[in-house]
Amino acid sequence: MPFRFLTVLVGLFLMGSAPAAPLDVVATSPSLGALVRAVAGERLEPTILAGPERDLHQLQAKPSMMRALRDADLVVAIGAELEIGWLPAAIAGAANPAIQPGRDGYFEAAAQVELLDVGGPANRALGDVHPVGNPHVDLDPVRMARIAAALAERLARLDPAGAEIYRNGAAVFAQAVEQRVADWRARLAGAPGVLLYHRDAIYLLDRFGVPLLGTIESTPGVPPSGQDLLDLTTKLKGRAGVVIQAPYQSPQAPAKLARDLGWRLERLPLAPPLEADGTGYLEHIERWVEAIAAARP
Amino acid sequence: MRPSILAAGLATALTVPAAAVQASSTAEIAELRSMLEQMRTQYERRIQDLEDRLVQAERRSARAPAPATPAATDPAISQPMRAPSAGASAPAATASRLPDFRGALSSGAAFNPQISVILNGNYYNDGIDGSGAALVGQALQPSGGSAHDHDHDHAQDADHGHSHGGLNNGFNFSEAELSFSATVDPYFDAAAYLAVMDEGDVHLEEAWLQTRALPYGLRVKAGKFLSDFGYANKQHPHAWDFVDQNLAYLNLLGDHGLQDTGVQLTWLPELPVYTLLGVEALQGDQERFGATLSDEDQERLGLDATEDGPRLWTLFAKVAPDLGLDHALQVGVSYARNTQHQEVHTHTHDGEDEIHENALAGEADLWGVDLVYKYDSSGPQGQGDFKFQTEYLRSIKDLDIQSSPHPEIIGSRRTFTTDGFYAQALYGFAPRWTAGVRYDVLGLTNEVSGDAHLDYGSSNRWSLNLTWKLSEFSQLRAQYARNDILVAENERERFDAFYLQFLMSLGSHGAHAF
Repeated sequence: MPFRFLTVLVGLFLMGSAPAAPLDVVATSPSLGALVRAVAGERLEPTILAGPERDLHQLQAKPSMMRALRDADLVVAIGAELEIGWLPAAIAGAANPAIQPGRDGYFEAAAQVELLDVGGPANRALGDVHPVGNPHVDLDPVRMARIAAALAERLARLDPAGAEIYRNGAAVFAQAVEQRVADWRARLAGAPGVLLYHRDAIYLLDRFGVPLLGTIESTPGVPPSGQDLLDLTTKLKGRAGVVIQAPYQSPQAPAKLARDLGWRLERLPLAPPLEADGTGYLEHIERWVEAIAAARP
Repeated sequence: MRPSILAAGLATALTVPAAAVQASSTAEIAELRSMLEQMRTQYERRIQDLEDRLVQAERRSARAPAPATPAATDPAISQPMRAPSAGASAPAATASRLPDFRGALSSGAAFNPQISVILNGNYYNDGIDGSGAALVGQALQPSGGSAHDHDHDHAQDADHGHSHGGLNNGFNFSEAELSFSATVDPYFDAAAYLAVMDEGDVHLEEAWLQTRALPYGLRVKAGKFLSDFGYANKQHPHAWDFVDQNLAYLNLLGDHGLQDTGVQLTWLPELPVYTLLGVEALQGDQERFGATLSDEDQERLGLDATEDGPRLWTLFAKVAPDLGLDHALQVGVSYARNTQHQEVHTHTHDGEDEIHENALAGEADLWGVDLVYKYDSSGPQGQGDFKFQTEYLRSIKDLDIQSSPHPEIIGSRRTFTTDGFYAQALYGFAPRWTAGVRYDVLGLTNEVSGDAHLDYGSSNRWSLNLTWKLSEFSQLRAQYARNDILVAENERERFDAFYLQFLMSLGSHGAHAF
């Protein structure tokens, strides 16, 4: 019996240590998982640490994450402190020197592009603020194309044999983005605007010049008060727009505002489904564009 | 315009003496004038030039501590990590291709350690004049028949003079916990945790270094730290889900748990299932499980002097199957061995006033089994989240009687076995609101070898609490506990205890381990 147990253990060990792909890549969010697939195609299959319905800022470190990071060659994070509550702990617990920040195995998407909301006051009276910049870069397809190019270079450095595939993948993705952006820009021109729960879609709005009519939470990380909702209703009454919230945000306040303003309420995840690739990511943006464009008066 | 005033001043200063000496020829004066004019324009141009350069430099430094120069040509060459600071991520909009940046964007100030202060205070009330908070840590157990006498009379170490559980009825400030952590260099991370108590005394809770570059899933930690024995042991009080520590830990390990100085080695092998194996060698300065007596007491009672360290060893294993993105389960087994344990048991005889002291010395073992399950719902701000946590501890002390007023028992051996257990569950019933329930017990088993079975029963407690997390940085908690604590063989103290607690987290946004 102990012998059989040992055989199973050794079998599992061999299974675990025989990598099928040239690189073991871990992505924190499905949008980055999609980007890895867009860049690497079939060559790499990323492990994704959180589903699209999850708030990446509220996640907790789990042993399964450490397990995934233990033999990762590269961790792809959104960064800019979005995953600060759990990723540092998970990376430390993974005992993998290759993926420490500062090494080739650590990639932050937000560090590859210019950020919005940079340099606000570091004052927690204003809520859970991040003076380093708004981290939600993954909703801007143009920035994502630039992140894909940087990611391709990083992958090429870690896996030179696949360099051509990665660079080509990034170029194809950039082209696909470019093709869609013109159409999206046309459809979103003159869109009346969006009321968000949190400033989590501003990169998309900023890209297409869609006005942000307000945020339901007046202070990041703090639920809105009745007065906040009243103020918003007074301010926006009679205008056109759409309320968009993420699935993990409290539904009552958005529903009430949508009702009072006579607007549509959309619940859209910030990230595409877990299995999405580059096309899946663009489909995800398409859903957002559709929701925003549908809000014409 | 400052430069022109300067030039005018200069000109006047020069012309006045010139006029004073009554220049003989007007031609000379004209020449002087033109020279001055020339000088003036030159100075103005130079000063203007300097001002422009100053403005440019100011703009550059305000924009970013740009890492551009060394990395611009070849990003593959190792570049110095940019000192992270607020605004560092505002790259020049003109840069068409940014350097590949491998660090983490952070709002932490450049090169300062991450600093946080956690304030932990409460209002406490029990029905027995505030003595309940100390009593829960002094429940009767076979080996520590006079655990509190022992603690008070023979405080082994001034370090342990403070107590996290020492509360009065009314307002209490438990502690301000200061923590500093940073990456030291590519090889080490380090952290220090200081607890400042309400009297102002400072207690070093932890100060350790940990490797970050060892291969094969190995990590070494050294210094003073909370052992990875069990699950609750390495949590600081602010991370507890209840205001106070459970009875098993409080009575078998004391206020600080297994907190000692030494070295830890952990190994995370490359297995399909998360498996962490660890071993620790610790000095053995532990308040209960690792206790030895003071020099005077050792001499007076004829006990051996405290041996050289390390005297306390631990082994632990934690296994966590992958249950998908929303569920997490971890099971752990821990073992600790203390190679030198000393304690004093006191007793009196009917009709005599004299207190008899038996001094015992030997070894002590501690076993622990723990299980934690967490469910992460997608509800807003913790709504629907669930956590279940349970641990079982069993302490076995194998001691010889070294001295006693009763010579016939000297040299005889006593094995004391006590165990403890707790189970707690937390549920996020609304956004930001969590309800918790805990049952903890000490002494399911109480045995002394040689003696008849001890059937005085166990000490136990039920606790209920309600936590309101106003934001990520502050929380308020109300807790009620129904205590049934065994204080002597046939004496129980039954009382209610009520807590209102605040926890404030100032400073950097830390990450909690699982």
